[in-house]
Amino acid sequence: MLDRMGRAVIKWLDEFLYALGFFAQVLKESALLFRRRQVGFRVLVMQILFTGIEALGIAAAMALAIGAAINLIGSSLLAEFGQGKLMYTILIVVIARELGPLLTAFIVIARSGTAIATELGGMAVGHEIEAYVAVGVNPISYLAAPRFLGVVVSMLVLDVYFNIFGLMGSFVVVQLLRPIGFDEYFRSLFAALTPGDLLSGFVKSLVFGVIISVVSLYRGFSVERSVTEVPVAGIKAVGSSFMLCILADVVMTAIQYLG
Amino acid sequence: MAPVPEIELRGVSSLRGGFEALSDVTLSLQRGETLFAMGGSGSGKSALIKTAAGIAVPARGEVLYKGKSLARLSAREEAAFRKASGFVFQDAALWSNQSIYDNLALPVRLHEPTWGKAEVERAVRRSAELVGYGQDLRARPAELSSGERKLIGLARALVLDPELLFMDDPTSILDEAAAARVPEIVDSLKARGRSMLIASVVSEFASGCADFVAVLLEGRVAALGAYAEAAAWTDPLVRGVTGRLRPRAAVPAWEGGLAGAWVSAVAESPAPAGESAASEGDEDGMSALGDIINDVDEGKEKP
Repeated sequence: MLDRMGRAVIKWLDEFLYALGFFAQVLKESALLFRRRQVGFRVLVMQILFTGIEALGIAAAMALAIGAAINLIGSSLLAEFGQGKLMYTILIVVIARELGPLLTAFIVIARSGTAIATELGGMAVGHEIEAYVAVGVNPISYLAAPRFLGVVVSMLVLDVYFNIFGLMGSFVVVQLLRPIGFDEYFRSLFAALTPGDLLSGFVKSLVFGVIISVVSLYRGFSVERSVTEVPVAGIKAVGSSFMLCILADVVMTAIQYLG
Repeated sequence: MAPVPEIELRGVSSLRGGFEALSDVTLSLQRGETLFAMGGSGSGKSALIKTAAGIAVPARGEVLYKGKSLARLSAREEAAFRKASGFVFQDAALWSNQSIYDNLALPVRLHEPTWGKAEVERAVRRSAELVGYGQDLRARPAELSSGERKLIGLARALVLDPELLFMDDPTSILDEAAAARVPEIVDSLKARGRSMLIASVVSEFASGCADFVAVLLEGRVAALGAYAEAAAWTDPLVRGVTGRLRPRAAVPAWEGGLAGAWVSAVAESPAPAGESAASEGDEDGMSALGDIINDVDEGKEKP
């Protein structure tokens, strides 16, 4: 029993260290991306297009609905305590600090995390990654680095977009319940906004982008021989990304409020 | 002093899925030599070729290219090794999200960055014609038959006219005509002094071009020697493999002759300016591919 547990821990540690080494390689190749001859600019552009641009619709719809829901719940609850003015602070805290980065991460995991893991897994099974090595293309530089940068940049952009639409959704509900001017609404909103809110959203989006891209790339490259490994890689990429993003979110929130 | 081998494996073992695919393999290949690795399914032929080509990393031992370990090559040396070597995959391994043209052009763009669009296109068309592919270059690999994909895989390996070739079962999944074409291409490459490490289950293929034969049994080199001596090997397990060695006459020649269309394509278009700049004399560069074909089509005696 103890022996089996020891082996499991060693295996886990081994995989963890390997994943850390992979992460370091991806970081290094991403930093060198624009200096290399074999730059995957096209891959980078396509990744930003897929992860950032094509997800705008679903991100906007989700953000509008969430913004509206927060306003509906908040305005009725806060009114009971005579704290209606706190609505703007709550909107900023919930959307910009918490839900914006997290829900954007969930969208990116569902769309791009699975796509990256299964695409690379399929390439591994078809020996396409070996073919890149054979002709002298570094797969980390050509396949991983552009996807890594593409996902991270898209996460940052999508988060800003989500925040804007979330606050817009709230504004729509305000117009239905207690119509106020566009100027007044956004002036109050900006008055409640602090640099810490913006920094918090930015850092969370950055960390989530790194987690999603590295986990998905790692799972994709882990596929070895069988096509049945490909969907498994996709599922593992989603599961691990969700878990790590939520864990990172809790840690970062704790640092913000307890630190 | 013996010349430094083009490629050398020293005590190489490699793992695949937890079991040993190669076990303590030592062999070398001098410039201009052709070594055939033979053996049944799962004997370690693919593992040998991939490890020798630096695609798979050995668990033990080392692989040397011109006397230097592949693991210790600098970025510049590795780029030179990749440019000087070509790899034919057993299942073609074309990049499915790229057109046939881009599959062939990528190695050229990577290793000949000074070449213009026209020179890249000329190199791509020549290599496609060399293997007898006359279909649409804009097609995706999924639109091709498995045999056509295999031929494009061969063309990709030849597009830079490498001096060292690794071929993993180059005649598998090819139709009869195409399978007859491959030995002709290999013969012509040998005539041009190219070094080749070939894994194949088609024993007739070896006659005429193999200098050495290595018989692999369960990841070990059970026998290694000159092709001419293989018939004298007595180990029953080894003879189970070498007993199938037959002269090439059993294989029908490709009726079309080797790339007649290729010769006409060369005649139609003058050599690009960058071609001579990229090559060193007439020995290297894409012009060498034209010579390969001319040697064969004109029935020149091989050195």
